[in-house]
Amino acid sequence: MRFLAVTVSLGAALLVMAAAPSYAAGGDAIFKKSCTGCHYTDGPAKEKTIADQLAKKGPELWYAGSKFKKDWLVAWLQNPKPIRPMKYNSLTDSNKGDHPKQSAGDAAATADFLMGLTSPEVKAGVITPKSSPQAKAIFGKKMPCGGCHEYGKKGDVRGGKSGPSLVGASKRLNPDWVNAYLANIKVFKPVRDMPDFSSALGQKELESVAAYIATFE
Amino acid sequence: MSRFVITTTMALGLALGAAGSAQAADAKQVFDFYCAQCHGVNGDGKGVNVTKDFATDPRNFTNGADMAKRSDEDIKGVIKDGGPSISKSPLMPPWGATLTAAEVDGLLAYIRKFAK
Ligand code: HEC
Ligand code: HEC
Ligand code: HEC
Repeated sequence: MRFLAVTVSLGAALLVMAAAPSYAAGGDAIFKKSCTGCHYTDGPAKEKTIADQLAKKGPELWYAGSKFKKDWLVAWLQNPKPIRPMKYNSLTDSNKGDHPKQSAGDAAATADFLMGLTSPEVKAGVITPKSSPQAKAIFGKKMPCGGCHEYGKKGDVRGGKSGPSLVGASKRLNPDWVNAYLANIKVFKPVRDMPDFSSALGQKELESVAAYIATFE
Repeated sequence: MSRFVITTTMALGLALGAAGSAQAADAKQVFDFYCAQCHGVNGDGKGVNVTKDFATDPRNFTNGADMAKRSDEDIKGVIKDGGPSISKSPLMPPWGATLTAAEVDGLLAYIRKFAK
């Protein structure tokens, strides 16, 4: 009985901590006013069915602080160039690049807020950016990554269009998040049109691919 | 699929609660979400990913002669384990860790219908 009570109160304390990230004053208010119509920031993932995913107007941001690099985020919020070649959740219309723009001040405050939203699944300091023959072969030949993702090759953009473009991923994505995402995709996106590769590839292979993507210009 | 069946499956899905992720979806929805990006909504192999860089054309499911050469087990196997499992292109991804057995069965029946 006592054990149960301790466990429950510990759980409750953890919940309170998880629900109260630290962020600069202002950013959360700006977000609530201009962004919550299309993005949710309270994790864990809410999508259970394909219909849930298709009903979303924009990507979930509850782990934004683990996923993005802050410099990129501050710049992108002011000048949001398309990330996904196609319109969100569409396989027929292209992305018009009409994401709302923020002022420099609002972007900085919002980025502070978003960078406070992290996921304990993402272990820091595991991945160092590095290209390797093994990772190149996985990305380009053994696995269909390039079939759904754009990537740069000799100054040219190649690859498929259904996934987010990986051109410039070195500046945009935290390599430790990419590693956690590939190893445990269901935590971040329980319903998504990218296959779960965690059984097709081993841990070392996934790490090498994350390190390789972290070099993408 | 009739509205009644969908409603019933949805209610069942709800009753099963958190455990039943995406299980109640019907085959067209599953195909359009996961497969149409390469195979096209009409199964003709002309999905949005098939640009000039795409090394191997995704199978055209409307070609009855080609599809007749494959057994149901082969098709289910390639959906679960990807192209290389039957010495085909790795551009056909492995979906075994993503889809349930019931969804794979549904896809098999749905793909077969394109050739009829
Ligand atoms: C009308 C809906 C809508 C509103 C309002 C909106 N967004 Fe977005 N947001 C989107 C869509 C759609 C994308 C995907 C854009 C792309 O891929 O190019 C996106 C992408 C993003 C991303 C990148 C996420 C990722 O996973 O790639 C961030 C960060 C973001 N939005 C922040 C914001 C902020 C901050 C606001 C409020 C100032 C905001 N958004 C308002 C729809 C919206
Ligand atoms: C069948 C298409 C498909 C294949 C194959 C595929 N992906 Fe993806 N990938 C996607 C889609 C779609 C998303 C976005 C999912 C979402 O946000 O709902 C994604 C997201 C990602 C992201 C996160 C990008 C971001 O900005 O959110 C990374 C990194 C990634 N994929 C890497 C890979 C790697 C590495 C492989 C090969 C091992 C691969 N993908 C194979 C479709 C695919
Ligand atoms: C990233 C693109 C891509 C996606 C997504 C994809 N496929 Fe494929 N598929 C291919 C390619 C390419 C081939 C042809 C392989 C070859 O001929 O070497 C193929 C072949 C096939 C074949 C035929 C294999 C044979 O020759 O007997 C089946 C069946 C199939 N896919 C089913 C599916 C199903 C079901 C889905 C959705 C769960 C799906 N595919 C998603 C690219 C894709």
